[in-house]
Order: sequence, then structure tokens, then C-alpha cells
Amino acid sequence: MQENPYLLDTRISGPIYWCDSGGKGTGSSPAFGRHSGIGDFVSKHGGRRQRVASGEIVLQTDGLTKVYRSLFTPVGVKAVDDLNLSVRRGETYSIVGPNGSGKTTTLKILLGLIFPTAGSATIFDKSIADLSVRGQIGFLPEDAYLYDVFNGEELLDFYAGLFGYSKRRRKELVDELLSLVGMQANRKVPFRECSKGMRQRLALAQALVNDPELLILDEPTSGLDPAGRHQMTRLILELKRRGKTILLCSHFLAEVEEVCDRVGIMYRGRLVAEGTLSELAGEPTEIVVTTSGIDAMRAEQITSHSGVLGMDDGVVRIGHESAGELWSVLETIHRAGGKILEVRRPRPSLQDVFVRAIRQDAPEEAQ
Amino acid sequence: MSSGRSRKLILGFLMVGILLMLVPVQDRIHRARPQVFDPDRKIKRVSAISVGPTPAVIAALGGFRTVAADLLWLKAERVWDGGSWWAMLPILDAVTELDPQFVLAWQVYGWHAAYNLHAESETIVDKRYWLDRGVTILEKAVEANPDNWEMIFELGWTLYDRAHEPWRASEYFYRADQFPGAKSYVSRLYYRCFEGVLDFERLFPALEYAKGRHTDPNVSDDVQHQVIANRDYDWWVQHKDDPQEHRRQIVLENTKRAERSVPFYLYPDDPYWQVCPICGLPSPKGSDVCSVCGAPVKQLSERAGRPSPASIPPDRTEL
Amino acid sequence: MNPQLAFLIGLFIVIVALVLTRRQWAPAAVHAVPSVWRIAKITVAEARRRRVIQAVVILVVLILISMTFFSYLSPQEQSRMLISGGLAAITVFGILLAIFIAAFLIPQELESRTVYAILAKPVRRFEFVLGKYVGALIILAAIVATMTVVLVGVLMLQDSLVQDLPDSAFNPNLKGVVFAAIMNYFAIAVLTGLIILISTVASTTMTVISAFIIWAVGSLQSTISDLAAHAELPVTKALLTVVYLIVPKLENFDFRNEVSNFVPISYGTGWEAVIQGIGYTAVVLILASIFFNDRQV
Repeated sequence: MQENPYLLDTRISGPIYWCDSGGKGTGSSPAFGRHSGIGDFVSKHGGRRQRVASGEIVLQTDGLTKVYRSLFTPVGVKAVDDLNLSVRRGETYSIVGPNGSGKTTTLKILLGLIFPTAGSATIFDKSIADLSVRGQIGFLPEDAYLYDVFNGEELLDFYAGLFGYSKRRRKELVDELLSLVGMQANRKVPFRECSKGMRQRLALAQALVNDPELLILDEPTSGLDPAGRHQMTRLILELKRRGKTILLCSHFLAEVEEVCDRVGIMYRGRLVAEGTLSELAGEPTEIVVTTSGIDAMRAEQITSHSGVLGMDDGVVRIGHESAGELWSVLETIHRAGGKILEVRRPRPSLQDVFVRAIRQDAPEEAQ
Repeated sequence: MSSGRSRKLILGFLMVGILLMLVPVQDRIHRARPQVFDPDRKIKRVSAISVGPTPAVIAALGGFRTVAADLLWLKAERVWDGGSWWAMLPILDAVTELDPQFVLAWQVYGWHAAYNLHAESETIVDKRYWLDRGVTILEKAVEANPDNWEMIFELGWTLYDRAHEPWRASEYFYRADQFPGAKSYVSRLYYRCFEGVLDFERLFPALEYAKGRHTDPNVSDDVQHQVIANRDYDWWVQHKDDPQEHRRQIVLENTKRAERSVPFYLYPDDPYWQVCPICGLPSPKGSDVCSVCGAPVKQLSERAGRPSPASIPPDRTEL
Repeated sequence: MNPQLAFLIGLFIVIVALVLTRRQWAPAAVHAVPSVWRIAKITVAEARRRRVIQAVVILVVLILISMTFFSYLSPQEQSRMLISGGLAAITVFGILLAIFIAAFLIPQELESRTVYAILAKPVRRFEFVLGKYVGALIILAAIVATMTVVLVGVLMLQDSLVQDLPDSAFNPNLKGVVFAAIMNYFAIAVLTGLIILISTVASTTMTVISAFIIWAVGSLQSTISDLAAHAELPVTKALLTVVYLIVPKLENFDFRNEVSNFVPISYGTGWEAVIQGIGYTAVVLILASIFFNDRQV
């Protein structure tokens, strides 16, 4: 990627994030503002390279319903209500929703840990009741808890053994996986002495032990500190780069925005919205340039520019339809002696989308 | 109902059916084990353990009756060392209730009643009571351990040595001798029962029987047994009709009784012996004259069904 | 051999043959073996690292060694005390460890959610249950074997140290001791199977309580049958009779009394009890698999 000379200064003074699927970056990733090189800016929606799924559906649910009944609730509590979703090969699909919306329940049904009350689901065209399906799935449970008396090496060896690998193959697998998740140095540390980040990475490693085509991750970054979240996100992106199909559950909207191609919003057991981020968020309507060092007199030079919608406190807004005039605006700012700190194309965040979707579904709740 | 669910139900019912079929099998095995299946004794066992220390009670209730018996046995040892002979009784009773296969406990219990407490008693009634009680205890012991020759022998010995019921004793000696592990002295005691009462009708068959036992020339005990049995056989063949020898035998028998401190005033109630008012020594019941001094003896009550001893040769007139 | 037992063995062989010859079941059966073995191995490895189990075994070894301090008794009494006390210790601690190991096997996995990572793999539910059971058997075999070896060692040592009297000899009865310990292990195996069945439907606490009740009832079968015979109310009588019939007769495996009193052992009855115990456990584990199959984790 060519370096943009206009951004040279700003890279020193403030955070600028390069974004490609490898996610080169420095420090933590923020909630918003990830963007690629400026050269790609116009053509890329939201500054991100969007993956195009290959088309084949690997996971499909059809009217999936789960009702919990007990003596005290004879009517039942609908944890999952008529869920119809599909995941294509190679895509990263995320189910987001508040706590209790049925995300984890859905995943557990898909894995055969609990049983649906109605409806069906297929993975790789086989029913979820078919045991052979599990050979192609890797599952990372929420707050993954593995046997705490063993170290990473022993754990991975055990899980690899469940697939019937030979001793030599298991050893190779263990080495590969530990280096993938960055646990080579800590392979002999017992699970109970591992930090939360290390545990999640080991848990991800056990999900990869059979090189699955479909990865199901339940809240992979929950409980992690920012550094841990960043590491986990990078791992997920690496897996995505390798062509894995990933079904991810989260209520961390930031990580969802970073890694996912499509998002499904669940609320009270139902899928209330689904689509790519662009589809859900809509097209960005303006470009925002953050500047500094422009006094009021020079500001007029900028605001008088044809493409500029307005300027407030150093923040210049350019209309989306005037995107072609961006260079000219930037030049004007530069001639006016201003420093360009940031250029971005804000669109409604996933959080906004989320709240909007819930509001539509249950207006009184969204308040 | 889906086929999967109905299959599971069928399988479940099949498993429960098999479980129910296993119940009589388990029950049969249980009843074949007298060591563990003993419904009559269990309730009594619970009350018997109240004499014991707490660990014994807990052990007994938990099904560890052997351990409870051991703990009570240790307590009995302590009580014995302390000299409280009467206090030992309930403890030994509890031990034998808890563990009827504890042969040593039965031996001590029976012996303690028939010997020690008999000796400690001061009146005839009490002495007779403890002797009878000791015999009863040992009879219970034999009932609980029908395959233990030592237990049967113990009863036989008590009857022979203490209660002076040689015919009953002989039955037990004979029974004990049928077991492969029985020692050689058991068969010898079998015929000695008849020696003392001069029952030649039974003595000679018994001697023949004893000579036929323990014949291995490589075992020193057997060799010794053969020597003694043959010697006794030859002796009695030679002296069967010798009145002097008869008298000597009876005096010997009475001396042995005296050595064992059995008072002669026991004999008014004794079923087999009567005390001569002239010499004061006992002679077998059923005869009109004293077998020691020859004086006429008033017949006392005879035990029904018991054989009378061999009559004394008529030509014996002097001591 | 008793006809009832022969019939049951025949039935068992027929069922196994059916399973292995049905086309759709045979591959499952073949697949099951390595899965079960893997889960058993991890269960054993996990238990080995639990300090509690090691501590209890060391405690029992110390207790067994301390039983040699009855030198004031006659040799015959000493051997009896050592054998009865030693076998009692092996029984008590063996059963206690069996209860605490087995009761925590499956509920612990469910509560800590370590079961998710396993059941999300191509592992059948019955393989999981069976693997846990086999693992428990291996652990308990090691524990009972260790305690038995120590007891045998103590008896042999004591035999060499104690001087026999003319009318009283130290009799270690080693063959009987080993047989009693093996029978005790089979009793533990039956109890473990039952505990696992209960644990597939109940919580840890309920499982532990139920296990103790079953052990108590199983050890006092004769008392219960006697109470049932003497019960006045028909309800009590019926209840006690049902309890007597349903609970496995662990007393059938109890040869401690014969061994302590040097009474001849009826080995045949013992092995009959083992065969029916195996049948009982197989049925119980199948039921446990059925229950666990439907359990929502």
C-alpha cells in the first residue's frame, strides 16, 4: 500500500490505523474510525475491505425454536423463537444481542448440547443430530473452561486424541496450534495458572484441533482486557484469512464491526435484523476531516469551499456527493496552515443500528 | 412420538426388566451366604452392642460387625485383666452375637461359664446353673459353626471333663473327628469316654475306630497316636474281665474328678452317677452296688433313654 | 451354575451379538472403544493430580501400618485383628473414595462446563458416560490395589516378627485377604455404576447423599429383610421389601468375616456375585446413557 504523504505528519502525532484483513495496527483498536489507506478510501465502504462469500450455505436454521418449560412456568419461556438464519462458506457471521436474547442458546442447539422444541437446522447439509457434523466444527464456548489441572500441551493432546489422531500427528498439531495462538512459551503452564487471555487462546486452540471448516465462537473476547481482545481479534481475522467460516456470538459491537461480514441482531429469541454492516447501517452521508491549527479567518477559506458542508471546532464536514472534491478541500486546509489529524467516513455505528432495531421491535424496552 | 424416543423407551423398559430379573439372582446368592444373611440374629445384635464402646456401636451399625467384635474383644481382655469376671459375660455375649464365627470368643465364653464361674459359685444350684449355661453356650457355638471341629471338640471336652456326661461327649468327639483337620487326641478321647464308665459294649468299637485313624507312618503325631491307641486296646483286651482293674479305673476316674475340684455333692442331680453313702465316692448309676466299695446303693432317678453302665462283676466284694 | 444366572449370561451374549452384527450399530460400537478409552484416560489423569485422593490413600496406608501395635495379644488374635481391621479400612475408604470420585465425575463436568468442549466434538453421550465410568474403575482399582498390597505386606512382616505359640499361630491368610479385597473392589464397581446413574439426573449433593444411603442399605440388607418380616404396617412392610429387593446387595461381595475367622470361603458364590454384578452394572450404565442422552447441558 502506498504511503500517503499527507498523512505523514499526522501519523506521528496521533493514532492512525491501517486496515487490511491482517489488521496491522498499533495499540488497541478503538470503537470506530478504522480505515484503510486514503487511496482506497472512496471505493471501500466504511473504509473496510468487504469479503464476498462464496455462495454455498454451510449452516441453515429453519424455524428453530426453543421453549424452556418448568413446573413454575408451564407456558414456557421462549429462548429462541422461529429462528431462520444461514451462513455461507467463507463468511464471518455474527449474532449480536443483549444478554438473554438467545445467542448462546442458538449455538448450543446447533452443537447438540441442548435440543430444539421445534424447527430444524443443518450444517454442511446434514442434520445437527448427525454426529459426523461435529468432526467439521470447532466450538469455543463462552468463558471457556477446560480441565484446570492440565497444561496447554496436555489439553490439546487430549482433544486431538478425541479425533483419533496418531501420536505423531497429535504432537505436530499441538505445536502448530500453540504457535498459532502464541502459547508456545507457556505450553507447560497449568490451565488454572493461566491468565484469562491465555485461557481464551488455549480454548480457541482446542476449537481448531480438527482444522474445522466451521468455527463457532461464543463471546470469544468476553472478560479480556483490551490487549487480550486485540490479540483474540487478530487471531479470528487470521482464521478468516485462511478461509474458515465463522459463526460468532458477541455483545461487543466493536469486535463485531472489525471481523464480521454479516450480522444478525437477536432480541428476545428472534432475529430482528440481518445483513452486512453497510446494509444495516446504510450508506455514509458525509466525510469528516478533523483538523487543528486553523484560526477563524482561515476557517472561512475552508467553509467557503464548494464541497464543504460546515466546520465546527476544527471538524470539517464534506458531503458524500462531493467526495470527488476531497483532495481539493485537503489542499485548501493545508494552504490555510491547518494540520490534518483524521479523515473518516462515519456511518451509523452498529450500536446505533442495534438500538434502532430493538426500538422497532420493542419501543418501550429500547428506552 | 418419534421413533427415536419410542426406541429409547423400549430400551429403558428392557433395562428395568433385566434389573428386576437380577433381583432374585442377587437374593439367592445372598441367602447362600450364612456369613452375611442371618435375619434372625440381626435384631438381637443391635441390642447386644450396647455394652460396647462407641466405636464398636458405630462399626456394628455400619455393617462392620467383625471390627465391632474385635473392639469388644479388646474390652473383654481389659475387663479380664481387671478381674471383673462377671462383667465379662455380657461383653462376650455381644462379641459372639456380632461375630458367631469368632471361635476363640465362643471357647472363652463357654469355658468362662463352665469353669471359672462354676468354680466361683458357692451353692450347688449356682454351680449347676453355670455348668449348664456353659454347655448351652457351647451348643449355640456349635450351631453357629457346624463345620469347625475345634468348636465341636470344645463342647465335647466340656461335657466330658466338666459336666461328666461321657455319652453326650462321645457323640461330639466322634463328630469332631470326622473333619479332616481334627487332631489325633480327639479320637482317643472318644474311646476314653467309655473307659471311665466301663461301657465295654462301646469301648471296643471305639478303640477299633481310633486305631483306624491317623495311620500315616511319616507323621510323628500319627505314629504316637497309633502307639497309644494300640496300647490301650491291648490293655483293655487283657483287663476286660479284671474286677481289680475295673475298680482301679473307677477310682482313677474319681480321683481325676477330685483333682478337677468337682465336689461330690454335685452328684445328687447327676444323671449318670450316684454317690455311695458308705464310701462317699460316686459310681455309675443303674447298678445296685457301689462299684468302689461294693456296698448296696439306693437307686436314684435315672435319665430316660440313657444306656446303663456295665454292671460290676459279681465276685468283687472287697475294696 | 444356577439356571437363572445362566439365562442372564445367555441374554447378555445375545444382546452383545445383536449390537455388533447390526450394520448401523457395529461402527458405533467400534468407534466407541477409542473414545471411551481417551475419556477414561483423562479422567484418571485428572484424579491423579487431585491431592485429596493421594492424601486419603496415604492416610489409609498409615492406618494399616499402625494396626500392628497389638503385641499383647496372642498370635491368633493378632492375625485376626490385623485382617479384620485392615479389610475394614480398605472397605470403608474404598467406598468413601468411590462415592466422592463417582458423584463428582459428571456433575462436576456439567457445573464447570468442561463438558461443552467434549460434547461439541464427535463424541457420543454414552461414550462420555462409559468413559467416565471406566476411568473411575481404573482409579479405584489402583487405590484398592495399593491398600491391599500394603495390608499383605504388613501381614507378611508381622508373620515374620511374631513368634507362634504351641496353641496359637499367626495366620496371615493371604489368599483370603486378596480374595476379600478383590470382591470388595467389585462391590465398589457396582456402587460406582449406580452413583453415575444417579449423577446423570441429580446434582452433586443429591448424588452424594443417595450414594451414602445406598451403601448403608446395601450393607444392612439382612436387617432390612428382618425388619420387613417383622413390620406391622403393610405400607412399611411393602416399602422395606421394595428397598430390600431394589438396592444392590453389596453384602454378596463381603467376605471379610470368613477371611477374619479363617472359615473356608465359597469362591463359587463370590464369582456368581461378580457375574450378576457385571450384568447389573451394564444395565445401570445403559440407563445412565439413556438419561444423559436426553440431558440438556
